[in-house]
Amino acid sequence: MALKRRSELAQTVPFNTWRDYPPMNTSVGTMLHNKTGSWRYIKPIYEDKVPACQNACPAGNDIEGWIKFLQRGDYEGAYRHLKREEPFPAILGRVCFKFCESACNRLTLDHSVSIKELERFVGDQVTPSKPHPDLPADHGKTMAVVGSGPAGMSAAYFGRLLGFKVALFEKLPEMGGILRVGIPGYRLPRNVVEAEFEGLHTMGVELFPGIAVGHDISLSELADTYDYVFLASGVHESMRLGLAGEDACPRVMSGLNMLRMVARGRDVDLGRRVVVIGGGNTAIDAARTAVRMGLDATILYRRSESEMPAHPEEIQEGREEGVHFRFLAAPERIDLNDDSTIRKLVCCEMELGPPDASGRKRPVKKPGALFDVETDSILTAIGELPVFDYLSDMVAVQDRVVAVDDALQARSEGHGKAKIFAGGDIVNIPHTVVHAVASGKRAAVAMDCDRIGRSFGDALKEITIGQGPAISFSAYMGWKPVNPVRQNLHVVVDSEKIVYDYFRKAPPVDKKTQPGHLRKTSFEAYSRSFKNREAQEEAARCMHCGRCTECDNCLILCPDISVLVKGGGRFGYAFDYDYCKGCGVCFTECPRHAITMIDEETPLEEEV
Amino acid sequence: MKQVIKGNHAVSHGVRLCRVKVISAYPITPQTTIVEELSEMCASGELDAEFIKVESEHSAMAACVGSSSAGVRSFTATSSHGLLLMHEVLHWAAGARLPIVLANVNRAVGPGWNIGADQTDSVSQRDTGWIQFYCESNQEVLDSVIMAYKLAETIMLPVMLSYDAFFLSHTSEIVDVPDIEAVCDFLPPYQPKLKLDFSDPRMFGGITSSEYYYEGRYVMHRDGLQALEYYPQVCRDFEAVFGRAYDLLEAYRTDDAEVIMVTAGTLTSVSRIAVDHLRQRGKKVGLMKIRMFRPVPVHGWAQILGQAPKVVVVDRNLTASVGGVFAAEVQAALYPLECRPVVFPVIAGLGGRDVTPADIEGVLDYALGHEKPKDVPLFWGLKQ
Repeated sequence: MALKRRSELAQTVPFNTWRDYPPMNTSVGTMLHNKTGSWRYIKPIYEDKVPACQNACPAGNDIEGWIKFLQRGDYEGAYRHLKREEPFPAILGRVCFKFCESACNRLTLDHSVSIKELERFVGDQVTPSKPHPDLPADHGKTMAVVGSGPAGMSAAYFGRLLGFKVALFEKLPEMGGILRVGIPGYRLPRNVVEAEFEGLHTMGVELFPGIAVGHDISLSELADTYDYVFLASGVHESMRLGLAGEDACPRVMSGLNMLRMVARGRDVDLGRRVVVIGGGNTAIDAARTAVRMGLDATILYRRSESEMPAHPEEIQEGREEGVHFRFLAAPERIDLNDDSTIRKLVCCEMELGPPDASGRKRPVKKPGALFDVETDSILTAIGELPVFDYLSDMVAVQDRVVAVDDALQARSEGHGKAKIFAGGDIVNIPHTVVHAVASGKRAAVAMDCDRIGRSFGDALKEITIGQGPAISFSAYMGWKPVNPVRQNLHVVVDSEKIVYDYFRKAPPVDKKTQPGHLRKTSFEAYSRSFKNREAQEEAARCMHCGRCTECDNCLILCPDISVLVKGGGRFGYAFDYDYCKGCGVCFTECPRHAITMIDEETPLEEEV
Repeated sequence: MKQVIKGNHAVSHGVRLCRVKVISAYPITPQTTIVEELSEMCASGELDAEFIKVESEHSAMAACVGSSSAGVRSFTATSSHGLLLMHEVLHWAAGARLPIVLANVNRAVGPGWNIGADQTDSVSQRDTGWIQFYCESNQEVLDSVIMAYKLAETIMLPVMLSYDAFFLSHTSEIVDVPDIEAVCDFLPPYQPKLKLDFSDPRMFGGITSSEYYYEGRYVMHRDGLQALEYYPQVCRDFEAVFGRAYDLLEAYRTDDAEVIMVTAGTLTSVSRIAVDHLRQRGKKVGLMKIRMFRPVPVHGWAQILGQAPKVVVVDRNLTASVGGVFAAEVQAALYPLECRPVVFPVIAGLGGRDVTPADIEGVLDYALGHEKPKDVPLFWGLKQ
């Protein structure tokens, strides 16, 4: 319903003689008859845009949207809204590498909003097994998912929301893949992962643990049975050091194997001292796990700390827990005793040369600079590889990854009816949980496009968030945004578009993590979730970049009184285009860039 | 109560007695001591007014425009270049019909840099729409402040009082300072018909198209002329309370005069002495004092001056390459008469140069001895 037009209130005041002139030079009526809007050549519109955090999230998490629910105290609303774009807040709220926080516009002011902690808080508010409100009826098309890690879970979740019948196959007896057997429990408690599978089960995803595709059932059988197959088998095979003595000693093993055994409750005998070789997240996880087993753990890395691929926060936490680091050192050989125990690890000092293909400085050996390291065991964590045996040449592999197109569809030879897609660590994307979740989301949407005969490329034009590659599931589904205003999914609101004068500095909420010497004594999760009050306080730091908050700034500053409050319980404001001169003060002074100036001639649909 | 005070302090007391609410001023010699005294009155609580310090005279007048629009009695004082800097806002104040009162100490305009008495500063403002008065004594200065508010707030136009630098501003005279109760009776608090008011929101000074502007200016012209009708009433009322009166003009020994001298400001006092001397010697001379100069009391001037065959106008101001402003105005006022006197325009006393009774006698003798002026204007006392 349009607002009442003020121009209809215009009245004329008769002026026939000099006697009608007022005693002072004042107005005697209104200027409503003078529709100054006709002078305008550009005009403002209210248009919500993409906050920098959402643009930075590989999964396209609508962080600002659910923070708005959180601020209202509507925790279930926040949970539901969050899960529109990103299915597993309790998991990613614990293990995500938070690309959002690195992009947060608040960094220019003080510190980023603690989005990950808020997501964890929201994820813990609702049991995943509570029935999902947006579940559609089945349309009859089926999807098989190979691998129950984050990519497979995500494809299954979005697949169900798109009406597919989904079967999720896992080789191991427990569901969860890397979340279950790779990431240690002190970072991601088992029950959190289990709860998400209960959620998927409630949504109707059929779970098949202990079924190894390629062994218990062949890929071609799956392809014959299902309409779509999503491959997300992950990388679980450690790269070998290639050193003498590596295979002869039972106390030389892969970090991934060690983590998997610990996770599954097996005994692992590593002696008293352990050296972990590598600089990635597996190395850190293995070392921190070893510390919790009471071992003296040292990470040996051939470059320096700044080149470590592991997340800096994890490195810091490992150091607090007593993990030792030996940088610029590479293993040369392993000397064994006669009983196949380790006598010593011979290492070579390294120095950094010119950058290599990865852009990092290439480590080169210092000639003759050998030194010995005393240790009881050695864990290797220099990288993981996928195992592709089960593909039986049905799917093209290139450079150790499954070759996929923009829709994540694999190039497969004509076996069975299924169209095969792939995601997670077996395709060429960064090896993080959130990237895996993003790939499952993308593949599910691509499958749905295929099902209904729509070009995925065309769909991308409407659902790509900012510069991509993240996509909006809400936009694909046509779900309504939080603010009932025009949406622009393509313009990202970065710090240059924020008017910082309107924001006050406020330090982030410190929920005080346990000190390292205490937390290393336990495999229990060492950090707690926010309490309600803390979550509210932290959520209040969100600047709501690109999204209207009804802050009234435009209303107050419009020199032509042409911003009208919609009122009657309706959200936001309306411009009175009869009088708005298009001066742009509202646009310039909107603290969060939720107003856009457009050419006067641009056609617009009716106000939402 | 009678006090010995300088002309500037006479102004300050006048402002105090009128219970002005806003004073905004910027100091300039020889005006400074007016506002010095006022700021002390504000500081001591003797005067309950907002004293606004500003960075220029332009701002001083602009602040008065604001405060007067808000409906309170407002005052400023200045001189010479300060008045010239106000020029734009003087037009605005009159056009906005704001009853502001301004005291101007007549001072020469540079260069050469000069702080002496000279009326060029205020006669330059004759087209701004302000009512103008010229005073010849400290008592007249004080009384004129009170009468100015009475007039301004009735006809809704601003009033400028002018008096000569140093001859009055810094010279002490005996002044009867009225009791404030009497002034309160004569001049009640200002009750604006229109003002900035939240309960009656209006735009002030907005765009006025050619459809309406002309009529607005006509109304301003018409109301300004009413000063000529209303001021004599103010004068009578003032006289009834305070026993003193200052009419639109003053005619001194003009009956049967062959030559009437026309002056404004302190020259008038000097001229009275000269007229008396010449009368003692049997010469038929008289004097007309210009008090109200805007609007011009044309009929009054013509009535007095039309009786005499010759008129001498002494201007302590100069429109270079034209002559004295008062002379031009007098000539214009006499023009409609069927039988016009001969006018002798004289320039004298620019930049504070002393004009003595002997000078005035000389000027009058010159007029008595000539059918017509040889030089127009006659630069009296010019070093040849």
